[in-house]
Order: sequence, then C-alpha cells, then structure tokens
Amino acid sequence: MKHISILWSVVLLMLLSSCGKTKNEVVIYTSVDQVFSEPILKDFEQETGIKVKAVYDTEETKSTGVLNRLLAEKNNPQADVFWSGDPIRTIVLKQRGVTASYHSALAQDISPIFKDSEGHWTGFSARARVLIYNKNLLTDDDVPKSIFDLGNEKYKGKVAIANPLFGTTTFQFAALFSSLGYERAKLFLSSLKKNKVVIATSNGDVKKRVVKGEIACGLTDTDDAHEAVQEGANVGVVFLDQVGLGSLIMPNTVNLIYRAPNEANGKKLIDYLLSSKTEAKLAKSCAQMPLHKNVLIPKDVPSLDAIVPMQINYEETANKLQEIQNYLKSWVEN
Amino acid sequence: MGRELDHKLSFNIIFWSVFIFVGLPLIYTFGMTIGAWKKDLGLLDGKLFGLLMRSGLISLIISALSTVIGVVLAFFLYKTDIQFKSVLKIILLIPLFVSPYILAVAWRDLFLILGLSSSWISYVGMIGVLTMIFVPLSVLIIGSGLSNIDASLEESGLMLTSYKEVFWKIILPLIKPALISSLVLVFIFSISEFSVPAYFGVKVFTTEIFTQFSAFYNHSLAIFQSLLLVVICIALLFAERQYLAEAPFFSIGTKGVKQKVYQSSTKLGLWIVMAWLVISVGLPIVVLFAQAAQGGTAVFLKSFNLLRHSFLNSITLAFVGALLLTLVGVVAALGYLGQGRRRYQDYFDGMLLILFAIPSTILGVSLIQFYNHPALNFIYSSDAIIVIGYTGKFAFIAAKIIKNSVRQIPKSLIESAEIVGVNYWLRLRKIVFPILMPSIFTAFLVGFILCLGELGTTIMLYPPGTEIMPIKVFTLMANASDFLTSAMVLVVLAVSLIGVLGIYGLAYWIASKREKRYD
Amino acid sequence: MIKFKNISHAYDSKSVVYDLDLDIFSNQLTCFLGSSGCGKSTILRLIAGLEIPTSGQIEINNVVATENGVLRIPPAERSIGFVFQDLALWPHFTVYENIAFGLQQKKRPNVKHTVSEMLDFFDLRKHQKKYPHQLSGGQKQMVAIARSLVLRPKILLMDEPLSDLDVKLKRKLLDYINRLKQDFEMTIVYVTHDHREAFTIADQVVVVQEGRVAAYGTVEEIKKSDNEYVQYFLEY
Repeated sequence: MKHISILWSVVLLMLLSSCGKTKNEVVIYTSVDQVFSEPILKDFEQETGIKVKAVYDTEETKSTGVLNRLLAEKNNPQADVFWSGDPIRTIVLKQRGVTASYHSALAQDISPIFKDSEGHWTGFSARARVLIYNKNLLTDDDVPKSIFDLGNEKYKGKVAIANPLFGTTTFQFAALFSSLGYERAKLFLSSLKKNKVVIATSNGDVKKRVVKGEIACGLTDTDDAHEAVQEGANVGVVFLDQVGLGSLIMPNTVNLIYRAPNEANGKKLIDYLLSSKTEAKLAKSCAQMPLHKNVLIPKDVPSLDAIVPMQINYEETANKLQEIQNYLKSWVEN
Repeated sequence: MGRELDHKLSFNIIFWSVFIFVGLPLIYTFGMTIGAWKKDLGLLDGKLFGLLMRSGLISLIISALSTVIGVVLAFFLYKTDIQFKSVLKIILLIPLFVSPYILAVAWRDLFLILGLSSSWISYVGMIGVLTMIFVPLSVLIIGSGLSNIDASLEESGLMLTSYKEVFWKIILPLIKPALISSLVLVFIFSISEFSVPAYFGVKVFTTEIFTQFSAFYNHSLAIFQSLLLVVICIALLFAERQYLAEAPFFSIGTKGVKQKVYQSSTKLGLWIVMAWLVISVGLPIVVLFAQAAQGGTAVFLKSFNLLRHSFLNSITLAFVGALLLTLVGVVAALGYLGQGRRRYQDYFDGMLLILFAIPSTILGVSLIQFYNHPALNFIYSSDAIIVIGYTGKFAFIAAKIIKNSVRQIPKSLIESAEIVGVNYWLRLRKIVFPILMPSIFTAFLVGFILCLGELGTTIMLYPPGTEIMPIKVFTLMANASDFLTSAMVLVVLAVSLIGVLGIYGLAYWIASKREKRYD
Repeated sequence: MIKFKNISHAYDSKSVVYDLDLDIFSNQLTCFLGSSGCGKSTILRLIAGLEIPTSGQIEINNVVATENGVLRIPPAERSIGFVFQDLALWPHFTVYENIAFGLQQKKRPNVKHTVSEMLDFFDLRKHQKKYPHQLSGGQKQMVAIARSLVLRPKILLMDEPLSDLDVKLKRKLLDYINRLKQDFEMTIVYVTHDHREAFTIADQVVVVQEGRVAAYGTVEEIKKSDNEYVQYFLEY
C-alpha cells in the first residue's frame, strides 16, 4: 500500500508540475538539426532570460515531424515560432493558415527574394545543393560539372540522391521542374533512373555512402558536405551548373505562428535568429552562408557572392512541388 | 455477488479511462476523416493491395524465421542443462533494448565491411535485422510454453520411442499455441515496423502510409490506409483466438509443473546459443564499439554529456508508463478470471489491440488533435501526454502477458478463499496477485523496455523543452559523426541495462521484504 | 439441516439440476453418488453458495440461503468448509500458511495454537514449512481437509477428495473422515463416483442420475433399491 501511495504522488506531481507554468518563455519548433540549432537557442535564453522550449525534428521524420505537428495543432497552437531548414515547408504552412505575418526590422537588408512579401516567413543563413564525391573513386577530371551530367552513361550506378519525396531533395527537384519546365525535367529524371541512381534515406545518408566509398558521388546539402570535409574524409565538393542554370540556394526560414501563445517573445526570438550574429554562428558551426552583408565567416565557408544561384521564386517552387509530388512518388517507386 | 460488483467497478473505471483517454481520440480523428474516405476509396488500387500483400509476405517470412530460431534457442535454454543459462537468457534480450533503427545502421555497416552489395543488402538486410530483433520475443513465448510441459508427458513418450520422435510428435504439438502466438505477434510487430524498412530502402505498407502522411500531408488517406493494417491485425488475432486456445505466453512460474530437463552430452547446445548471441548481440556491439573508438574516449564523454539530462526523465517516464500500462493490462486480464460472459473483456482486448496495431504516427496525431484544446492543455503540455501515448500503445502486450497467466489460475483457488470470507480486494491481494506476480513483473519489464525506446508516437507528442533519450539520440545523430552516433547508442544501451537491472533490484528488494513479513 | 426446495439450475442455458427436493440431515454424512457429469458437484456448489440456483429455494438450518435466483447468505457466512476436487491449495503459501490463512482473515485469536492442533491431528507438523508442490498426493489431501476444518465449519463439503489415492491411503483417510464427523460434530456432504467409498462412510446416500435423484436412503436401503439405474450403477 505504501508503494502505491508513493507512485500516486509521483503521478500527481507530474501532473501538477505542468500547471505551474512560467510565463516568460517561448516555444519553438525547428527542423534544423539539433546540433546546430540548440546552441543558438541556448544563447538566446542566456542573453534574454526568456526560457526557450524547443521541439526538434529527427532524421526519421526529417522536416515533416514538426510540420505535421504544427498542422495538427493548428486550432490551438502551442508553438510561437517555426524555424525551418528550407522555405518550402514554411510555404506549405502559410498556405494552410498556420503562419502569421511579422516584418522584422532586422531583415531589412536581406534580399526580397529570400522573404515573403506578406511577412509570413523570412529567410536567413542559406545552404546550397552541392555534389559531394569520393576522391578515391573520381579523379578531378571525371567530376561532373552539371547536374545533367549525372544522367550520362559514364556515371551509371555511381550517383546517389536522397529520397526526393522528403527534405531538400524535393526542393531541388521542384526547382528543376519550375525552371526547366515539365518535359525537360522529366527527361532528366528518367535519365537518372536509367542510370540506376541510388536512392538513399537522407542527405546525411548520401554523405555517408560517399565518404565510405560505397558510391562515387551524390547530391547533398552544403552543411553535410562541409561536415564530411571537417571529419577528414577524402571527399571533394562542387557547386554544379556554375555555367548556366546555377546552384539551388536554400535559406533557413523563420516565421511566427498564427495565434502564437507568446507572441511578443516569439518576435524577439525571430529578431534574434535574423541577426548577423546568428548568421555568423551558423557559418561557423555548419558552413551556412549569411544573407546579411558583411558577416564575418570562416575561410572554408563559401560566400553567396561567389556562387551563381539558380533563379527561382520560392513560393512558385512550393506550388510546383505539390503539383509534381505524385509524379515523384511514382518515379521513386518504379 | 460482491465479487462481481467489485470487479465490475474496477473494470469499468479502467475500461472507460482507456477508452476516454486513448480510444476516443482515435475515434475522433477517424471520424474527422470519414468525409474524405469516399475519395480515398477511389485511390485504393491493385498496386496498393499488391504492396499490402508484399508487406504481409515479408512479415510472414520474418515471423516464421523468428519462430523457428526461437524454438531452437528456447529448447536449449529451457529444456537442457547448458551452462550459464540464466546469464545467456538476459544477454539474449539485448536486441529488444536497442532501437531497431540503430541495429539497422550497425548491421548495414557490417554488411558493407563484409563486402556485400547494396542491392543484396536491402531485402535480406531488412528481414535479417528484424528477425534478430524479434527472436528474443519468440524465445520468451516459446520458452514459457516449453516450461509448462509436464515431465510425465515427455517421459511417457520416451518409453516408446527416440528423443527425436518425442520432440517432433509430442513436444512441438504441445507448444503449438506458443508457436502460433509467436508467429502472430512477430507478424504484427514487423508489419507495423517503419524505421528498418525505410532505412534499407524497402517499400512496405508502413512506408507508404508515412509517405502519404509526411510528403503529401494527406492525413485522411494515411489514416484510411492504417485502417487496413488494423483490419489485418485484428483478423489474425481473431483467427488465433478461434482456432487455438491462447498460448501460455509466460508461465505463472514453474512451481507446480514438474519439468523435464535434458542433459546435453555434447556442447552442441551451448555452441548454438553462443553462436546466435555472437551474431545478434556481439557483432553489432563490436561494430558500434569499433566505430565509437575511432573518436577516442572523449567521444563517450561527449555523448554522455549530450544525453545526460534526458536519462532521469526518460527512465521516470518509462517507469510511470510501464506502471500504468501494467495496471491496464492487469484489469483487462482479470476479466478472464473464472468463468462467465467474456463479451466486455473481449471489447477491452479489441480496443487495446487496435491501439497497439495502429501506426505510431497516426496514434500521435490523434492524440494531438484531441488533447490540443485549451481545456486539456494541462495534459497536452505536460509529460502526461507521453505517458498516455505509452499506455495506449503497449497496454495490449501487458494484457496479453498477464491474461495467459490468469487463465491458468484454477477457479477453485479463489473460491476457496471466498468461502472463508475473504473479500474481493483481499482475494486479489493475497491470492491472485502473488500467483500472477511473475507475469505482472514480466509485463512491467517488457513495458518499461518498450516505453524507454518508443520513438514514433513520442516524437509527435513530447512537450517542448522536454528531453527524451531516444528522441535526443535521433535528433542528434542526423548530423553527428559515425563515432558519436555509435557512442551515443552504447550510452543508451548502458542506461537501459542499468534501468532494467534497477527494476530487477527493486523487485528483489520488495520480494525480500515480503518474505520477512511471513517469517 | 439443508433443505432443497424445487431447485433447478442451468449453466449457459443448459440444465444440470432439475426440480431437486431433498433434505440433508445435520450431523450425518450424506454421500452424493453418480457418474461424472451427473450434476453432483453442482449440488455441492449450490450448497456453498458459489452458484445461485436459477429457481427454487435452499434453506440452511431453517434460514433461507438462496431463493429464486437471489443470494440471501453469501458463501462466507454459511459456516462451510469446502474440499475442492483439485484441492485448490494456494501454491504460494506454505502448508502452515494455507491452514492459517482463513483464521487470519477472520481475525480469530490463537491462530498458532489452532493451526498447531490441526497439524498434529493430520500428522502434518513436519511438513508445515513445505509448499504444496513439495508434498505427496496424500499429504496434499490432508492439507486441503485441514484447511477446510480449521474454522470449525458446521458443514463440510467434499468433492471427490480421495479420487486419486491408492487403496491404503484411501482407507486411512476414510477413517479420518469418520472420526471427523464424530470429533467435530459436523454435517458432511461428500461427492463421489465410487459406491464402495460411499458405502464405507455414508449415513445417507443420494444416487444422482442426470441432474435428478434416482434413489435416496441409508446404505442398506440403497443396496436393496429396485431402481434400474441404481442396480446398474452398483454392478461394477
């Protein structure tokens, strides 16, 4: 009997502990890897004294766990801020009425391409899509220069991509569809298929397979590629299509949630994330390229100025994504 | 009669609690999507059923392999006198403590080291890894079946024929219920498993549901598809119930049954068991250690520090979750005590089964949509929501474990106490619970292990700012190096083992106190 | 005296006892004799109150115990000892604990002394710390009987308690039971399928055939009965 009463008090305590909420807090959901997002959120907490409660995403539910949660929570939002690794998912949220408008003063010098005109999302620190290759398997001359090279007979069975139904790969394919048009993009995809492209579970998995020499090269994000280099793997990284189409640039985005419970603190956190200071930190920790001018970055981090970007409209690309998804699904499956 | 009233009271309280706390959210979510089902029905095509068939076939292979290996291992571990039996039995359980995804990662690396090609790895890898994960479950089920065979049944066979014949003609038929239980449970576990097929790039029905859910945000179709999965699982369990008396899942202790234990003249049994342990436990751990070691000892320290804050939280939550789901399991199982109409008990059982078989993401979304309401915020924004998720998901297992023991308690044991005037609660406390204690403990332990590793539902539900061990590992491993990931997994393994040993310790402590009281 | 008035009872809409009218006399040993499945065990359970008859009335010592499907006196208040066919020894209690449990629950004084008497009476003292699974068949029967007697019931119900024993042990236990009746002044209701057993100890014998009384009387009366079923039953 004594044991039972102890256990009941444990259960009760757990229930009670949830009631005594401190009000000076902010709730953020993020799809940015915890290793990189957590330190920044901790800094914010220390500098402002506002308690940050975060929900992180995982590899397994990459970019979609928190997204589905935000959609499910729409009628009674728990989160104040959503920090996304790419604009596409945020635009899905905007279209479903989950986001709220907020024009941060700190984002004034960020190019309008990287911002929603209505203020439903604002971009900062960008990544790009790159090709990572194993130097033991490909000589410098053999390295593809364009994404279209990946469909060449020469690279048959040597290329990996992450599942294009999820994550930034979807984004890249949607961007191709919106800039090349339906027919040319489809042609490219079938050339990949014919070349027996390996479909990995995630960008991290692409990186891993290339690092291990299981596959010669693959498409991934700059942060994954940067990590491989830092770990000392014998790999090279290339920005594709520097003559022509350009490389896809993907800013982080942050947005306020519609009817956020701690709106004021949410805005403070958004301002903090959009500051040059945060961009500098992200440049250092995961090679993300700042969108503000004059941010100090480590030498091995590329600068946006040095890359030919793909000319796209993010909102249009997001719409395109939803159009092509059924096609992508059948492409993956067959 | 008092016994019925008291039983009805507790049964109703728990039944309706589970129904309101977990069942209703699911019904609510399903109800919200009914409007879209007509459209979804149109999307059901031959391809989808083909996929369902393929998933079924893969799961069937896994459950068959797991059961066959389970028979061999259980035979040596439960019916022969090989050395270090009790230690080997505990080591065997280790794959259950490790998240399937992590074992998949370790095995894939190992396959690559062995020089196997990627295409070969996908199906074989997935089936192999899932088999290795579920074999411990099969051994537990089949082992208790073997322990319950009265020695005389085998001995009378040995008078007539060779041991081989006795094994095939007497022992196997006697444990048929356990074999079926093992097949059915492993089948349900593997057909609803998501992370391993996803990692090996094998398209199965759960990955399809996940795609609808996560790439298309088509909640109604995902829910509709998961209904198909539920229907299959229920049909299977119904078939199991119809054609076979349910298997003694775990024995109520071997007291009372005289067991036949064979002397192994050769070391063959020991070698076979050891070989299995080396393959299923040793190799993955060695791979993980080897990878972690590349980072030096610092990497262990780093993983420890990264996960430190989640240990206590995770263990507490798993403990409370195991406690609650065991309580639900006990009450659901007690309905089968003695005779009488079983209809309501069957409803309870069915409800727990649906909660168990439904994909974890769907369960998560259902709970969000139901609890995320200003009036219920005190639950939704607290750890209580995680415990509700755990209980909903795993109470079925607890009920199944305990129910099979309940059915082995002769009615007369309780009636003989009733005659001397012992009331319902006291009968439970003095007679029923002590007899059920081994299986209640097993249910609690299995529940604790499952809760401690639960990811799919928890990730949808965990309150902002809470640190949960498996989630922390998964969110960190996305961008962590191989050696950090491996080190984190080993830390989780160590913490889980410490948790399990702690529970054993607690159990011994309580048991010894009890003993003292009787002296 | 236990009085059955028009008792009928059905399990799952299948009748097992029909229109039973019967008086069981106090301080006597009444044997219910019949082949298996004839309803004799059900009669015991009806007396104990573990089953409530679908219709009819049972009186125990002039008090109504059940009538028309309603339980008036719960089993625990009927002063009954019950030896189950499977003995129902609690496997997690020692011999001592099995016997002492009822006394402890009823908060009787001198538990130790009373149990001690029982242990001596049944020759179980040296086994008192053993668990049921460590006992021989005969010892288990003794424990079960000791346990049922320890609360000094006015009625002792025994459901084939000796069915599994060898002849020698059976003799010994039958003697015990005869002694019990005298020493404890009890009404004993004893169910068996073995007419030799019944004739050795019974004061009254009830032959049951498919839920009905085929014959009722003293041993001598039964032996002389001209009922066909009784003659057939006694043949072997």
